[in-house]
Amino acid sequence: MTELTQDDIALAGEYALGLLDTAGAAGAAARVTVDAGFAGEVAAWHARLLPMLGGADEAAPARVWQGITANLPIASAQDTGTRGLRFWQLTSFASSAAASVLAALLFLQPAPAADVQNAPLVAALGSDSGTASLTARYDSKTGDMLLTPVSLHTGKLFAELWIIPADGKARSLGIVAGDHATQMFVPADMRRYMEQGATLAITPEPAGGAPGGKATGPVIASGKILPV
Amino acid sequence: MQPPSPIADAARARLADALLRTGKGDRGAFETLYKLTSAKLFGVCLRIFPERPDAEEALQDAYLTIWNKAATFESGRASPVSWLVAVTRNRAIDRVRSLGTARYVPVEEASKIADPAPLADAQMQAYGEDRALHGCIETLDARDAGFIRAAFMAGATYADLAAHEAVPLGTVKSRIRRALLKLRECLGGKGVGAQ
Repeated sequence: MTELTQDDIALAGEYALGLLDTAGAAGAAARVTVDAGFAGEVAAWHARLLPMLGGADEAAPARVWQGITANLPIASAQDTGTRGLRFWQLTSFASSAAASVLAALLFLQPAPAADVQNAPLVAALGSDSGTASLTARYDSKTGDMLLTPVSLHTGKLFAELWIIPADGKARSLGIVAGDHATQMFVPADMRRYMEQGATLAITPEPAGGAPGGKATGPVIASGKILPV
Repeated sequence: MQPPSPIADAARARLADALLRTGKGDRGAFETLYKLTSAKLFGVCLRIFPERPDAEEALQDAYLTIWNKAATFESGRASPVSWLVAVTRNRAIDRVRSLGTARYVPVEEASKIADPAPLADAQMQAYGEDRALHGCIETLDARDAGFIRAAFMAGATYADLAAHEAVPLGTVKSRIRRALLKLRECLGGKGVGAQ
Protein backbone atom coordinates (compact mmCIF):
# COMPACT_ATOMS: atom_id res chain seq x y z
CA MET A 1 0.00 0.00 0.00
CA THR A 2 1.42 3.36 -0.95
CA GLU A 3 1.70 5.73 1.95
CA LEU A 4 -0.56 8.70 1.97
CA THR A 5 0.90 12.18 1.81
CA GLN A 6 -0.50 15.14 3.74
CA ASP A 7 -2.13 16.19 0.48
CA ASP A 8 -3.83 12.80 0.16
CA ILE A 9 -5.08 12.99 3.73
CA ALA A 10 -6.47 16.47 3.22
CA LEU A 11 -8.07 15.38 -0.04
CA ALA A 12 -9.74 12.44 1.71
CA GLY A 13 -11.11 14.89 4.29
CA GLU A 14 -12.33 17.30 1.63
CA TYR A 15 -14.04 14.44 -0.14
CA ALA A 16 -15.64 13.10 3.05
CA LEU A 17 -16.91 16.59 3.88
CA GLY A 18 -18.35 17.03 0.40
CA LEU A 19 -16.38 20.21 -0.29
CA LEU A 20 -15.15 19.25 -3.73
CA ASP A 21 -16.78 20.25 -6.98
CA THR A 22 -18.27 17.60 -9.24
CA ALA A 23 -15.04 16.85 -11.08
CA GLY A 24 -12.97 16.75 -7.90
CA ALA A 25 -15.46 14.48 -6.17
CA ALA A 26 -15.59 12.16 -9.17
CA GLY A 27 -11.79 11.92 -9.14
CA ALA A 28 -11.75 11.10 -5.43
CA ALA A 29 -14.56 8.57 -5.87
CA ALA A 30 -12.59 6.84 -8.58
CA ARG A 31 -9.52 6.72 -6.36
CA VAL A 32 -11.53 5.15 -3.53
CA THR A 33 -12.26 2.19 -5.76
CA VAL A 34 -8.61 1.49 -6.60
CA ASP A 35 -6.61 2.75 -3.62
CA ALA A 36 -7.36 0.93 -0.38
CA GLY A 37 -5.23 3.30 1.69
CA PHE A 38 -7.09 6.31 0.39
CA ALA A 39 -10.44 4.55 0.84
CA GLY A 40 -9.48 3.81 4.45
CA GLU A 41 -8.63 7.45 5.07
CA VAL A 42 -11.97 8.58 3.62
CA ALA A 43 -13.74 6.11 5.92
CA ALA A 44 -11.66 7.36 8.85
CA TRP A 45 -12.73 10.92 8.08
CA HIS A 46 -16.36 9.88 8.09
CA ALA A 47 -15.85 8.23 11.45
CA ARG A 48 -14.10 11.32 12.81
CA LEU A 49 -16.82 13.69 11.66
CA LEU A 50 -19.98 11.71 12.39
CA PRO A 51 -20.09 12.73 16.06
CA MET A 52 -20.89 16.22 14.79
CA LEU A 53 -24.35 14.89 14.07
CA GLY A 54 -24.82 13.46 17.56
CA GLY A 55 -27.12 15.12 20.01
CA ALA A 56 -30.62 14.93 21.35
CA ASP A 57 -32.92 12.25 19.97
CA GLU A 58 -36.38 13.20 18.86
CA ALA A 59 -39.33 10.84 18.39
CA ALA A 60 -40.46 10.85 14.77
CA PRO A 61 -44.20 11.21 14.10
CA ALA A 62 -46.08 8.05 13.05
CA ARG A 63 -46.68 9.39 9.54
CA VAL A 64 -43.01 8.91 8.73
CA TRP A 65 -43.24 5.15 9.19
CA GLN A 66 -46.49 5.11 7.23
CA GLY A 67 -44.77 6.95 4.42
CA ILE A 68 -41.92 4.47 4.46
CA THR A 69 -44.12 1.38 4.33
CA ALA A 70 -46.21 2.91 1.54
CA ASN A 71 -43.07 3.14 -0.56
CA LEU A 72 -41.61 -0.28 0.08
CA PRO A 73 -42.09 -3.07 -2.43
CA ILE A 74 -44.71 -5.46 -1.19
CA ALA A 75 -43.40 -8.44 0.76
CA SER A 76 -43.73 -11.94 -0.51
CA ALA A 77 -42.39 -15.19 0.82
CA GLN A 78 -40.03 -15.56 -2.10
CA ASP A 79 -38.50 -12.16 -1.43
CA THR A 80 -36.83 -13.14 1.80
CA GLY A 81 -33.22 -13.81 1.26
CA THR A 82 -33.25 -13.26 -2.47
CA ARG A 83 -33.81 -9.55 -2.66
CA GLY A 84 -30.19 -8.78 -3.39
CA LEU A 85 -30.15 -11.11 -6.35
CA ARG A 86 -33.43 -9.83 -7.70
CA PHE A 87 -32.26 -6.27 -7.38
CA TRP A 88 -29.08 -7.10 -9.21
CA GLN A 89 -31.10 -8.68 -11.98
CA LEU A 90 -33.30 -5.61 -12.25
CA THR A 91 -30.31 -3.33 -12.34
CA SER A 92 -28.77 -5.28 -15.13
CA PHE A 93 -32.02 -4.99 -17.05
CA ALA A 94 -31.90 -1.25 -16.61
CA SER A 95 -28.47 -1.03 -18.11
CA SER A 96 -29.33 -3.02 -21.21
CA ALA A 97 -30.37 -1.47 -24.46
CA ALA A 98 -33.86 -0.05 -24.61
CA ALA A 99 -35.24 -2.73 -26.88
CA SER A 100 -34.02 -5.59 -24.80
CA VAL A 101 -35.32 -3.97 -21.63
CA LEU A 102 -38.77 -3.79 -23.12
CA ALA A 103 -38.51 -7.31 -24.46
CA ALA A 104 -37.36 -8.61 -21.12
CA LEU A 105 -40.18 -6.92 -19.29
CA LEU A 106 -42.85 -7.87 -21.75
CA PHE A 107 -41.95 -11.39 -22.68
CA LEU A 108 -39.15 -12.94 -20.72
CA GLN A 109 -40.46 -12.76 -17.20
CA PRO A 110 -41.71 -16.06 -15.87
CA ALA A 111 -45.43 -16.34 -16.49
CA PRO A 112 -47.42 -16.15 -13.28
CA ALA A 113 -50.05 -18.73 -12.47
CA ALA A 114 -52.74 -18.53 -15.13
CA ASP A 115 -55.28 -16.14 -13.76
CA VAL A 116 -56.79 -13.69 -16.16
CA GLN A 117 -58.02 -11.48 -13.34
CA ASN A 118 -54.51 -10.91 -12.15
CA ALA A 119 -52.74 -10.69 -15.45
CA PRO A 120 -49.88 -8.20 -15.30
CA LEU A 121 -50.31 -4.85 -16.96
CA VAL A 122 -47.62 -2.93 -18.78
CA ALA A 123 -47.13 0.52 -20.18
CA ALA A 124 -44.46 2.04 -22.38
CA LEU A 125 -44.11 5.73 -21.53
CA GLY A 126 -42.67 8.04 -24.13
CA SER A 127 -43.09 11.39 -25.77
CA ASP A 128 -43.26 12.82 -29.28
CA SER A 129 -39.91 14.47 -28.83
CA GLY A 130 -38.51 11.11 -27.77
CA THR A 131 -36.29 12.47 -25.03
CA ALA A 132 -37.81 10.57 -22.12
CA SER A 133 -38.96 6.99 -22.08
CA LEU A 134 -39.51 4.28 -19.55
CA THR A 135 -41.44 1.10 -19.11
CA ALA A 136 -43.85 0.11 -16.37
CA ARG A 137 -44.94 -3.32 -15.35
CA TYR A 138 -47.69 -3.62 -12.79
CA ASP A 139 -48.91 -6.65 -10.91
CA SER A 140 -52.50 -5.99 -9.93
CA LYS A 141 -52.46 -8.90 -7.53
CA THR A 142 -49.72 -7.56 -5.30
CA GLY A 143 -49.73 -3.84 -6.14
CA ASP A 144 -46.08 -4.07 -7.16
CA MET A 145 -44.97 -1.92 -10.03
CA LEU A 146 -41.58 -1.88 -11.65
CA LEU A 147 -40.53 1.24 -13.51
CA THR A 148 -37.49 0.90 -15.71
CA PRO A 149 -36.06 4.06 -17.22
CA VAL A 150 -34.67 3.83 -20.72
CA SER A 151 -33.91 7.52 -20.85
CA LEU A 152 -35.13 9.78 -18.08
CA HIS A 153 -33.33 12.99 -17.20
CA THR A 154 -34.92 15.63 -15.02
CA GLY A 155 -31.81 17.51 -13.91
CA LYS A 156 -32.23 18.83 -10.40
CA LEU A 157 -35.91 17.93 -10.43
CA PHE A 158 -37.47 14.54 -9.74
CA ALA A 159 -39.54 12.41 -12.07
CA GLU A 160 -42.99 12.12 -10.54
CA LEU A 161 -45.29 9.38 -11.79
CA TRP A 162 -49.01 10.01 -12.17
CA ILE A 163 -51.96 7.78 -12.91
CA ILE A 164 -54.69 9.42 -14.98
CA PRO A 165 -57.82 7.24 -15.16
CA ALA A 166 -60.98 7.84 -17.18
CA ASP A 167 -61.99 10.89 -15.12
CA GLY A 168 -58.92 12.73 -16.41
CA LYS A 169 -57.64 13.64 -12.94
CA ALA A 170 -53.96 13.00 -12.31
CA ARG A 171 -53.08 11.26 -9.05
CA SER A 172 -49.52 10.96 -7.87
CA LEU A 173 -47.95 7.53 -7.44
CA GLY A 174 -44.52 8.69 -6.33
CA ILE A 175 -41.06 9.50 -7.59
CA VAL A 176 -39.22 7.38 -10.13
CA ALA A 177 -35.43 7.20 -10.32
CA GLY A 178 -33.86 8.23 -13.62
CA ASP A 179 -30.79 6.01 -13.43
CA HIS A 180 -32.04 2.68 -12.15
CA ALA A 181 -35.20 0.63 -11.90
CA THR A 182 -37.70 1.72 -9.26
CA GLN A 183 -39.81 -0.86 -7.55
CA MET A 184 -42.93 0.85 -6.34
CA PHE A 185 -45.80 -0.34 -4.25
CA VAL A 186 -49.08 1.17 -5.44
CA PRO A 187 -51.10 2.16 -2.37
CA ALA A 188 -54.44 0.40 -1.88
CA ASP A 189 -56.53 3.50 -2.65
CA MET A 190 -54.78 3.96 -6.00
CA ARG A 191 -55.06 0.40 -7.28
CA ARG A 192 -58.58 0.84 -8.63
CA TYR A 193 -57.20 3.37 -11.11
CA MET A 194 -54.54 1.02 -12.37
CA GLU A 195 -56.50 -0.54 -15.19
CA GLN A 196 -56.32 -1.04 -18.91
CA GLY A 197 -56.77 2.24 -20.78
CA ALA A 198 -55.67 4.50 -17.94
CA THR A 199 -52.62 6.69 -18.61
CA LEU A 200 -49.35 6.79 -16.73
CA ALA A 201 -47.44 10.05 -17.04
CA ILE A 202 -44.23 11.62 -15.77
CA THR A 203 -43.69 15.26 -14.85
CA PRO A 204 -40.53 16.85 -13.43
CA GLU A 205 -41.22 18.11 -9.92
CA PRO A 206 -39.27 19.59 -7.04
CA ALA A 207 -37.90 17.36 -4.30
CA GLY A 208 -40.65 15.91 -2.19
CA GLY A 209 -42.94 15.76 -5.18
CA ALA A 210 -45.47 18.13 -6.64
CA PRO A 211 -46.60 20.56 -3.96
CA GLY A 212 -50.18 19.92 -2.90
CA GLY A 213 -50.44 16.89 -5.16
CA LYS A 214 -50.80 19.02 -8.29
CA ALA A 215 -48.33 18.61 -11.10
CA THR A 216 -46.28 21.74 -11.78
CA GLY A 217 -44.07 20.46 -14.59
CA PRO A 218 -44.94 19.53 -18.16
CA VAL A 219 -45.65 15.92 -19.06
CA ILE A 220 -42.36 14.61 -20.42
CA ALA A 221 -43.49 11.02 -21.00
CA SER A 222 -46.81 9.22 -21.00
CA GLY A 223 -48.35 5.96 -22.09
CA LYS A 224 -51.50 3.89 -21.77
CA ILE A 225 -51.76 0.84 -19.58
CA LEU A 226 -52.16 -2.34 -21.60
CA PRO A 227 -52.54 -6.02 -20.78
CA VAL A 228 -49.54 -8.18 -21.62
CA MET B 1 -16.60 8.66 27.00
CA GLN B 2 -18.25 5.83 28.84
CA PRO B 3 -16.47 2.51 29.06
CA PRO B 4 -17.96 -0.27 26.93
CA SER B 5 -20.63 -2.14 28.81
CA PRO B 6 -22.41 -5.44 28.24
CA ILE B 7 -25.64 -3.46 27.72
CA ALA B 8 -24.09 -1.40 24.93
CA ASP B 9 -22.63 -4.53 23.35
CA ALA B 10 -26.02 -6.24 23.41
CA ALA B 11 -27.70 -3.17 21.91
CA ARG B 12 -25.12 -3.04 19.19
CA ALA B 13 -25.49 -6.75 18.41
CA ARG B 14 -29.25 -6.41 18.25
CA LEU B 15 -28.98 -3.48 15.86
CA ALA B 16 -26.44 -5.23 13.66
CA ASP B 17 -28.73 -8.27 13.50
CA ALA B 18 -31.76 -6.15 12.54
CA LEU B 19 -29.74 -4.38 9.87
CA LEU B 20 -28.34 -7.60 8.42
CA ARG B 21 -31.80 -9.16 8.29
CA THR B 22 -33.18 -6.00 6.68
CA GLY B 23 -30.56 -6.52 4.00
CA LYS B 24 -32.18 -9.88 3.28
CA GLY B 25 -35.57 -8.26 2.75
CA ASP B 26 -36.98 -8.99 6.22
CA ARG B 27 -39.64 -6.35 6.86
CA GLY B 28 -40.12 -7.32 10.48
CA ALA B 29 -36.43 -6.69 11.08
CA PHE B 30 -36.72 -3.39 9.25
CA GLU B 31 -39.53 -2.33 11.55
CA THR B 32 -37.44 -3.31 14.57
CA LEU B 33 -34.58 -1.31 13.14
CA TYR B 34 -36.86 1.68 12.70
CA LYS B 35 -38.12 1.45 16.26
CA LEU B 36 -34.59 1.24 17.62
CA THR B 37 -33.08 4.03 15.56
CA SER B 38 -35.70 6.45 14.21
CA ALA B 39 -35.47 8.85 17.15
CA LYS B 40 -31.72 9.08 16.73
CA LEU B 41 -31.85 9.48 12.96
CA PHE B 42 -34.67 12.01 13.22
CA GLY B 43 -32.36 13.98 15.51
CA VAL B 44 -29.71 13.82 12.78
CA CYS B 45 -32.19 14.97 10.14
CA LEU B 46 -33.31 17.86 12.36
CA ARG B 47 -29.72 19.04 12.65
CA ILE B 48 -29.47 19.14 8.87
CA PHE B 49 -33.04 20.33 8.18
CA PRO B 50 -34.18 22.60 11.00
CA GLU B 51 -37.73 22.72 9.60
CA ARG B 52 -39.65 19.68 10.82
CA PRO B 53 -41.54 18.87 7.59
CA ASP B 54 -38.21 18.84 5.71
CA ALA B 55 -36.63 16.70 8.41
CA GLU B 56 -39.54 14.24 8.28
CA GLU B 57 -39.19 13.86 4.53
CA ALA B 58 -35.45 13.43 4.89
CA LEU B 59 -36.02 10.73 7.50
CA GLN B 60 -38.47 8.87 5.30
CA ASP B 61 -36.02 9.11 2.44
CA ALA B 62 -33.21 7.89 4.67
CA TYR B 63 -35.07 4.74 5.71
CA LEU B 64 -35.99 3.90 2.14
CA THR B 65 -32.30 4.25 1.29
CA ILE B 66 -31.42 2.11 4.31
CA TRP B 67 -33.86 -0.55 3.07
CA ASN B 68 -32.27 -0.47 -0.36
CA LYS B 69 -28.69 -0.44 0.90
CA ALA B 70 -28.89 -2.65 3.98
CA ALA B 71 -27.45 -5.57 2.02
CA THR B 72 -24.20 -3.60 1.72
CA PHE B 73 -23.73 -3.33 5.49
CA GLU B 74 -20.86 -5.43 6.78
CA SER B 75 -20.98 -5.85 10.52
CA GLY B 76 -17.24 -6.28 10.87
CA ARG B 77 -16.37 -3.02 9.17
CA ALA B 78 -18.58 -0.39 10.73
CA SER B 79 -20.78 -0.04 13.77
CA PRO B 80 -24.43 -0.20 12.78
CA VAL B 81 -25.17 3.23 14.27
CA SER B 82 -22.28 4.83 12.38
CA TRP B 83 -23.43 3.17 9.17
CA LEU B 84 -27.01 4.34 9.66
CA VAL B 85 -25.98 7.89 10.53
CA ALA B 86 -23.66 8.02 7.52
CA VAL B 87 -26.38 6.83 5.14
CA THR B 88 -28.84 9.31 6.65
CA ARG B 89 -26.39 12.18 6.43
CA ASN B 90 -25.35 11.40 2.86
CA ARG B 91 -28.94 11.11 1.71
CA ALA B 92 -29.89 14.32 3.53
CA ILE B 93 -27.00 16.24 1.97
CA ASP B 94 -27.97 14.96 -1.49
CA ARG B 95 -31.41 16.25 -0.74
CA VAL B 96 -30.16 19.64 0.43
CA ARG B 97 -28.23 19.93 -2.80
CA SER B 98 -31.05 18.80 -5.05
CA LEU B 99 -33.28 21.37 -3.38
CA GLY B 100 -30.65 23.93 -4.29
CA THR B 101 -30.55 25.10 -0.71
CA ALA B 102 -27.00 24.15 0.19
CA ARG B 103 -26.25 26.96 2.52
CA TYR B 104 -23.64 28.43 4.71
CA VAL B 105 -24.35 28.12 8.40
CA PRO B 106 -23.22 31.24 10.20
CA VAL B 107 -20.52 30.54 12.73
CA GLU B 108 -22.67 31.53 15.69
CA GLU B 109 -25.41 29.13 14.59
CA ALA B 110 -22.95 26.38 13.88
CA SER B 111 -21.41 26.63 17.31
CA LYS B 112 -24.87 26.33 18.80
CA ILE B 113 -25.41 23.13 16.82
CA ALA B 114 -22.09 21.79 17.94
CA ASP B 115 -22.92 22.02 21.63
CA PRO B 116 -21.93 18.56 22.84
CA ALA B 117 -25.20 17.27 24.23
CA PRO B 118 -24.89 14.63 26.92
CA LEU B 119 -25.03 11.23 25.31
CA ALA B 120 -27.37 9.31 27.54
CA ASP B 121 -28.08 6.59 25.05
CA ALA B 122 -25.72 3.66 25.38
CA GLN B 123 -25.82 3.13 21.65
CA MET B 124 -24.27 6.52 21.17
CA GLN B 125 -21.04 4.98 22.26
CA ALA B 126 -20.81 3.75 18.73
CA TYR B 127 -19.97 7.34 17.91
CA GLY B 128 -16.96 6.96 20.10
CA GLU B 129 -14.91 10.08 20.47
CA ASP B 130 -17.73 12.58 20.44
CA ARG B 131 -16.25 14.82 23.07
CA ALA B 132 -12.83 14.51 21.52
CA LEU B 133 -14.16 15.82 18.21
CA HIS B 134 -15.90 18.77 19.79
CA GLY B 135 -12.84 19.51 21.86
CA CYS B 136 -10.61 19.45 18.79
CA ILE B 137 -12.96 21.58 16.72
CA GLU B 138 -12.79 24.13 19.52
CA THR B 139 -9.06 24.38 19.00
CA LEU B 140 -9.52 25.47 15.39
CA ASP B 141 -9.93 29.02 14.25
CA ALA B 142 -13.65 29.76 14.74
CA ARG B 143 -14.09 30.62 11.09
CA ASP B 144 -12.44 27.40 9.90
CA ALA B 145 -14.55 25.41 12.35
CA GLY B 146 -17.63 27.10 10.89
CA PHE B 147 -16.54 26.12 7.39
CA ILE B 148 -16.13 22.49 8.37
CA ARG B 149 -19.52 22.40 10.04
CA ALA B 150 -21.18 24.15 7.11
CA ALA B 151 -19.75 21.54 4.77
CA PHE B 152 -20.59 18.50 6.84
CA MET B 153 -23.99 19.56 8.09
CA ALA B 154 -25.31 21.89 5.43
CA GLY B 155 -23.75 20.54 2.27
CA ALA B 156 -21.69 23.64 1.54
CA THR B 157 -18.97 23.19 -1.09
CA TYR B 158 -15.79 25.21 -1.51
CA ALA B 159 -17.57 27.27 -4.12
CA ASP B 160 -20.47 28.02 -1.73
CA LEU B 161 -18.12 29.04 1.06
CA ALA B 162 -15.95 31.23 -1.17
CA ALA B 163 -19.02 32.97 -2.57
CA HIS B 164 -20.49 33.53 0.84
CA GLU B 165 -17.29 34.82 2.34
CA ALA B 166 -16.38 36.79 -0.79
CA VAL B 167 -12.85 35.40 -0.69
CA PRO B 168 -10.94 33.59 -3.43
CA LEU B 169 -11.62 29.88 -3.74
CA GLY B 170 -7.94 29.12 -3.24
CA THR B 171 -7.91 30.93 0.09
CA VAL B 172 -10.86 28.99 1.46
CA LYS B 173 -9.38 25.77 0.17
CA SER B 174 -5.98 26.21 1.76
CA ARG B 175 -7.49 27.33 5.07
CA ILE B 176 -9.76 24.28 5.24
CA ARG B 177 -7.04 21.87 4.21
CA ARG B 178 -4.78 23.18 6.96
CA ALA B 179 -7.64 23.02 9.46
CA LEU B 180 -8.42 19.43 8.46
CA LEU B 181 -4.85 18.32 9.02
CA LYS B 182 -4.81 20.08 12.39
CA LEU B 183 -8.09 18.45 13.35
CA ARG B 184 -6.77 15.03 12.41
CA GLU B 185 -3.62 15.52 14.42
CA CYS B 186 -5.65 16.66 17.43
CA LEU B 187 -7.81 13.54 17.17
CA GLY B 188 -4.71 11.40 17.25
CA GLY B 189 -4.94 10.34 13.62
CA LYS B 190 -1.77 8.72 12.46
CA GLY B 191 0.59 11.04 10.73
CA VAL B 192 2.35 10.52 7.46
CA GLY B 193 4.32 7.33 7.37
CA ALA B 194 2.93 6.04 10.64
CA GLN B 195 0.58 3.50 9.09
